[in-house]
Order: sequence, then C-alpha cells, then structure tokens
Amino acid sequence: MGVSIVPALKVLKPAARIVVVAIVGIVVGYFANAAFFPGTQPAQPIAFSHRIHAGDNEIPCLYCHVQARRSISAGVPSVNKCMGCHREVAADRPQVRLLANYWENREPISWIKVHDLPDFVHFTHKRHVAAGIECQTCHGPVETMEVVSREAPVKMGLCLDCHRKNEVQHGTDCWTCHK
Amino acid sequence: MANVDRREFLKLVGAGGVGAGAGFMLAESIKHPVEYLIPYPVPPEEFSPGIATWYNSVCGMCPAGCGISVRTREGRAKKIEGNPLHPVNQGRLCALGQAGLQVLYNPDRLTGPMIQSGQRGDDKFVKITWEDGLSRTAERLAAARRDGISFLSQGVRGHLAELFELFMGELGSDRLLHYDFGHPHALYAANRKFFGEHQLPYYDIRNTRYLLSFGADYLTNWLSPVHHALGFGHSRQGNDGHRGRFVQIEPKMSISGAAADEWIPARPGTEGFLALGIAHHIVADGRYDGDDAGKWRASLADWSSDRVAGLSGVSEETISRLAREFAHAEPALAIAGGAAANHTNAVDTLVAVNALNYLVGNIGKAGGVVFNPDPVTGGSVIDRQANYRTMQNLIENARDGNIDVLIVNNTNPAFTLPRASGFREALAAIPTIVSLSSFMDETTLMADVLLPSHTYLEAWGDDMPQPGVGFPVGAISQPVVAPLYNSRSTGDIILGLAGKLGFNEAIPWTSMEDFLKDGWRQIYERGRPESGDFDAFWRDVLVSGVWGENARRDDSVVIAPGVIEGLAVSAPQFSGERGDYPFILHSYLSTAMYDGRGANLPWMQELPDPMTSIVYGTWVEMNPVTAKDMGFRDGDLVTVTSRFGSIEAPVVTFPAIMPDVVAIPIGQGHNALGRYARNRGANPIEILAPETDSASGNLATSATRVALAATGRRAAPVKTGGESRQLGRGIVQSTGGRSGSPGHSAKLNSIPIVVESA
Repeated sequence: MGVSIVPALKVLKPAARIVVVAIVGIVVGYFANAAFFPGTQPAQPIAFSHRIHAGDNEIPCLYCHVQARRSISAGVPSVNKCMGCHREVAADRPQVRLLANYWENREPISWIKVHDLPDFVHFTHKRHVAAGIECQTCHGPVETMEVVSREAPVKMGLCLDCHRKNEVQHGTDCWTCHK
Repeated sequence: MANVDRREFLKLVGAGGVGAGAGFMLAESIKHPVEYLIPYPVPPEEFSPGIATWYNSVCGMCPAGCGISVRTREGRAKKIEGNPLHPVNQGRLCALGQAGLQVLYNPDRLTGPMIQSGQRGDDKFVKITWEDGLSRTAERLAAARRDGISFLSQGVRGHLAELFELFMGELGSDRLLHYDFGHPHALYAANRKFFGEHQLPYYDIRNTRYLLSFGADYLTNWLSPVHHALGFGHSRQGNDGHRGRFVQIEPKMSISGAAADEWIPARPGTEGFLALGIAHHIVADGRYDGDDAGKWRASLADWSSDRVAGLSGVSEETISRLAREFAHAEPALAIAGGAAANHTNAVDTLVAVNALNYLVGNIGKAGGVVFNPDPVTGGSVIDRQANYRTMQNLIENARDGNIDVLIVNNTNPAFTLPRASGFREALAAIPTIVSLSSFMDETTLMADVLLPSHTYLEAWGDDMPQPGVGFPVGAISQPVVAPLYNSRSTGDIILGLAGKLGFNEAIPWTSMEDFLKDGWRQIYERGRPESGDFDAFWRDVLVSGVWGENARRDDSVVIAPGVIEGLAVSAPQFSGERGDYPFILHSYLSTAMYDGRGANLPWMQELPDPMTSIVYGTWVEMNPVTAKDMGFRDGDLVTVTSRFGSIEAPVVTFPAIMPDVVAIPIGQGHNALGRYARNRGANPIEILAPETDSASGNLATSATRVALAATGRRAAPVKTGGESRQLGRGIVQSTGGRSGSPGHSAKLNSIPIVVESA
C-alpha cells in the first residue's frame, strides 16, 4: 500500500487524547453521581428518626402506618397522630417544635418518598402484610435508621426473587402487578 | 508516554471536567423524579386512603332511572357501574350512564350563583352569594302575578316532583311543566285511548317469542334501553332452546334494526296502515276468536293487504306472512316508537299497534303487554309533561306578556324546540328568567339569575322508574361525593326560596334530605317490612340501592268503549311539497348525545355512532343510489333546507335507508354548553316543521320534508370504521338483487345496492 494512515493519526493524536479524556470524564461523573448522590436517603422536612421511635421506643410499624394491613398503600401518619404524643412528649425539642408549627397551621408535611414504584406497577401492602412478610424484608432495618434510606433496590428483580422463592400463586404472571 | 505541554494539559483537564459534569447530569436526568408522601393533618372519617367505597344511587342521564353503584376513592368518584340489585338494569349500564363522571367533573360546570350583568345572551355573568340570589328570586316571585309564574323543568319524578308541586301550589300557579324532547307523548295518549291506562305498560321483551317493532329503537333510547337489552338477550338465548324472532319496520336502519332477523322499510308514516293490514289478516284468517271478533272484522274490513301494500310499499306477501307469524308465535309482542310515533298520525298508529297486541291475546301475560301499578309517589307527573302544544301555549302566553317569571331547571328548549316554535324570541318577553341548571346551555345563557344545581351524583333525591317493570320500584339517589362547588341541590334551592317566601307552614322542611326521609317514612309505613325501625329501613334502602313491592296488577283486559269501531289511521301529513322538498327528514336521537345533553361529555363525542362509526360531528345519511343520482360523494358538504330553516352537514352514503329519506342524528349543533359541545356539527331540530299530532299535541318530528343542495365544499366526517371496502376479501356476501328487475342501482364500494321502482 502506498497510502499510510500514520500521518493522519499523528494529526489526530491531540484531538483523540481530548476525546478519550472526555469520555473517561463522563464515565467517572456518572458513577460518581451513582456512588455519592444515589438519592436513597433524601433529607426530609423534619428530621424524624425511626431509630428513636421504632427502635428505642419499640412503637410497632402498624401503629403509625395504619393502612398497611388493609389497603394498597401503607400510609403515612397524619399530623395529628404525631401530635397524639408530641403535644406533651419532647415538646421543647427543635424538631418537635417544627412539627407543632405544621399542626398549628393544619399544614400537611411533604415527606419525600423513599420507596417509590412507577405508576404502572400495582403493589398492594394488604396482601403482603397478610402473608406475614415483615416490613424489614423490603424496607430494611428501619428501626435502626436515623434517616430512612433505601436499602434494597425497589426494582422488579426484588419482587420476582421473592415471588419465585416463595412460590407465590400467579406470582410471576405479568398481569398480577402490571395492570 | 507522549509529551504533554501545558496548553494541552489544560485542554485535557477542561475536557475531563466537562465530561465529568456531563456524566453527572446524565445520571441525574435518568433518576426518578422526586415524589412526595403527603398525609392529612387530620384523617377523614368517611374513607381510608387506598380503599374504595361504593355508593348506590340512581343514574340521572336519561329518564330510564337505572340504579348505579359508584366506586369512590379518597372522596373522588372513579367509576360508575350498574347496580346488580336494581330490577331495571340489573348491574348493566349504558355509555351515557358511564359518562356521568364527566358531568360531575366537567370543567364547564356552573360553580355558584351568578347574575347577568350585560344584555341577555351576552354571557357576562358575575358571581353573587346564595343569599343574594335567593332573595332576588324570591322578590320577583312575590311580586309576580299568580299565574305569571312558570316553572319549566326536565322530567323529574319521585319526591322532587312532589316538592315542585307543593311549591307551585303555594305560589298559586298551575304553570308547572316538565319538558323532555324524547318524551313518548303519543304512546301515553295511545294507551289512554285504547286501555284507559294512565301509566305506560311494561313491554315484556324478555319473554316474548316474536317481537314486531314499528320503528322503536328499543336497544338505544326507547323507554328503558338497558332493560330492553337485557330482555332482548334473554329472548334470544335464555328461553329453553327457543330463539325469539325480531322484525323491525322503519325507514332507516337503527341500531335495534341492525339486530333484527328481518328489516322492513315502509314508507314513512304508513306504519299505522301496516299494523291495521296485519290486524286485518289476523282476523280475516280466523286467527282471532274473541267475542268481539265480529266488531273487529267490520272495523278492519277496508284494510286489505293490497290496499296497505299500495300505501306502505311493503308487499302483500310480507304483510300476510307477518300476520301469520305474529299470530302463530305465542307469545308475540308489538311495540312502536321512533319515527313511527312521531308522525301527525302517531296516536292512531300506536292504537293500531295496541290492537295487534290485543288480537294475539298478550295483554296482561308474560311476553306481552303488562299493566303497571301506580308508582308509590310522583304518579301525577305524567300530566305535567309538556308536549309541543303545551309549549306553544307557554310561548304564546310569554309573547302576550302573561309570564312574569320563568324558572328553568336543567332543560334546554332553546336547543330542543324547532326554531319555528319561537321559543328563543318569546324569552325576550319574559321579564325575569331564573335558571337552576348545572350547565350554561342555550336556555340558561338567556337567564338573568343563575342558581346552579348540584349534579345528580352530589345530591339527595329519589326515583320511581317509569314505565315501571310490572311492580312498584323505588330507589334513593344519594350523594357519592361532597359537592365540588358552591352549587346546591335543586330541592334545597326550592326549599330556600320557599323559606324566603314564607311558605313555612306548607313546606316546613329545611333540607331535601329531610323532605326525602319524611316521604320515605310514609313508604316504609305502607308495607311494614321486617327491617325493624325506619332508620334501619332507610339504611337498608341506601345499602341495597333499591326498594320494591311485590304487588302486580291482575285486572283483566278491558279496552275502552268505542275503540274498535273508531279504529282508523289517517294519512301522514308532511310540511313542504314533494316537488320543492323531495326528501323526508328522519332525525333521530343519537346513542351518545341523546337529545343533545351528551355533547359536552368528551367520552360521548369520542363514542363512534354504531351504524356509521362517525365521531365528533353531524352528518346526513343518504341512500347510495340517491347520492349517485344527485352527484353527491361521501364528505360533500350539503345544505339541508326545510320550509323553516337550513343547516349544513356532510353526506354519508348509507345503504339501509329508503331512497327518498335522509337521516340526521340529533345532539350536536350547540352554540353553548361548554367547550366540548360548542360549534360542532348542526342541530336538525332547528329546521323541523311545527307539525303536531292532533290527538296528543306531540311534535311530529318525522313530518318535515327537506331539500338538499351542494355547497361545493367538503367536510369529510371523522370515522373510526376506516376502510369499508372488501379489497377482495369476500367479507360481505351479497345476492346483488334480482336480475331483470326495473329500477336503478349503485355500489356502496363493492356492495351493489338496487332500488326497485314500486
């Protein structure tokens, strides 16, 4: 061959180096995001600690998350449920005063959802609680968490693993969850 | 390792930085958006989040009165189903019933009291308070002459109807009218004339073995369509191996007609002749052996099949065969409605159809005509139903300045009366118009004061369906959601006015719910059922959604004296000469829009017309042979002109329509009623001639002749049906007509249509 590509490569060499570094940068940036900002532990409007309530004080999950036993959604306690105790208990702590503020204005607290399923998935807490599955199975050791974090990836694999292992009737049928 | 000088080093650092930033943003952009979990400050007691609550109520979309069960989540109505326990619809519901959700959540609902601040019709309404609205209205009512007060409501039954009577009674005015476009006036008149019956009977389609229908589109909108559909299904498939036969006689194929075993086009207005011809055969062939057979024979002597064939265009063989089949099947049932019940000879026609039922002995029997007992309440409302003659009377009185105040409740005569009636102009002569309607329809647009009612899903009420199902039935209509806006239930508005006018003695109740409960206490005391105290009874009725009494009529058949001798059908009259107006206009209540009330519901606009698959518009159906002769193609925009007006609509060729008939569905052509209804299609009611059937005062909607003319423009209708050509697939097999027959032909795509000359 009389034509060599080497001169072309030589010309491209600086540009190539920049492109390579840029690509490496994209990859690093992407995984840095995943590693350091996974969004599994969002900061909540009030620094509510499950460790204090569910762990140290041993309040059962269903005391606050009332609907879990009979509805598709477990529910989040209403503000007046919190006030049930906190009218008196630890009423002078700054976070509890924040809570009292919400109550005085009858304003609901916008908690950020940690375990979020897409809208096209039908998940019902009622069935799972009725099957005797512990809350911690999917939600992790919540009673040890200062801030709720997402321990297990809430993806289809998690559901299928358990449905297969426990041989759930119609558990791997598309229509069971996607309806 | 190559040498990197400072400049290149900085470029690489920059590239790396930008890359890292881009990668970071990429990861960020594919994350789920943040979602919130927002609890209540105080949890409500009426529902648990995530758990549905069902409420039983009564559908308010048409006069049939089906029972509904509404699924609500977190206080919002999500889905309307039929109530399985209600005898009218037994768990089923029609499309219009399903669309009740779109009535409740319609963005164009009137949200609170208003007054017109500009000229009437300007749509410059400003908000006022209820106190203000009720006071103004009460003042005008107090100042009005006693019979200068007119109350024009949609057809209402049950206790609300009783409240209207009480209210108008206290006001000293007799001008209480219920106006529904589709009310079967002629049928009521015919039953009164033939049997002396005030109530409509129950037509037992379920148990019949031969249904002969003269134009009644009973599966779509005749009387109680959901109930009839259930019955029809049973007569076809539920009867011990015997499949019921169904014959439909009409000038244009309706949805019911499409389900018929035999579809017979008869000249418009000759259905009565046909019925008499069939009756003649039944008697002449010796198939009737009652004591009065001699009288019948004498009375029917003139109606031989050759005479009737000439008048109706139906062959002699068919007439005698129908007579044979009808008399042979046991039980057989004849019904009439649609166009047949809206000619100038409607009552005569319906009386003739009643004669058929009498002659085959099905009166009072299963599979035939079963008389209904009086409803437990609100039976007198039948007399308040306004026919065209009554409306004309009101219009004349308005024009003469006799009406001081008009109260309108959820009825829309500005749309459902022909232009020729002069209704819109008459409104101008009425000093005060108050509307209780929930929507800004054409009539409400002309009001001075708006006191909007709740929709039926937000209000207390009750209903006793008419026609009944053979025994007394009642159902309570309860609110399924808290009211969305600052409207009030119609009953509460009337009670509020009554309070302001000082009618506290005769009308002491403070809420419709109380009035209802008091009324139902009386119903409870009728039967003394086992459910214990009244509160338990009330709860039972609400939970089941229906109440009934096992009380059927067992009186024997008596036909009114003179009926047999007076049996006659006069020739139908039409407005317009055939030369100038060659076509007879067949305007029909559409499946989705009914009388126009469905036009502001997007689901109903989306619902394809079952016969043509057209959505979102109005169209003119024409026989393909006629279209070919006139040089019209599908989608050509034509003017349809009667002696009284003109509308525009695109042509649609339709094979199952008589060559000199054109059909236009009713429902579109609004210039009010909200964003989904406005400026869409055309309203054929506008151009109808003010002809009436003299015996009943009913508007003869089938009596208008029209002329069609091309506009040169096109407006292809939107169809979901798409391709109607076979493209060689051999889907539709046709016989192509008899060879050598006189007449002309055309092809509807690959289907040959032949019209034989008579």
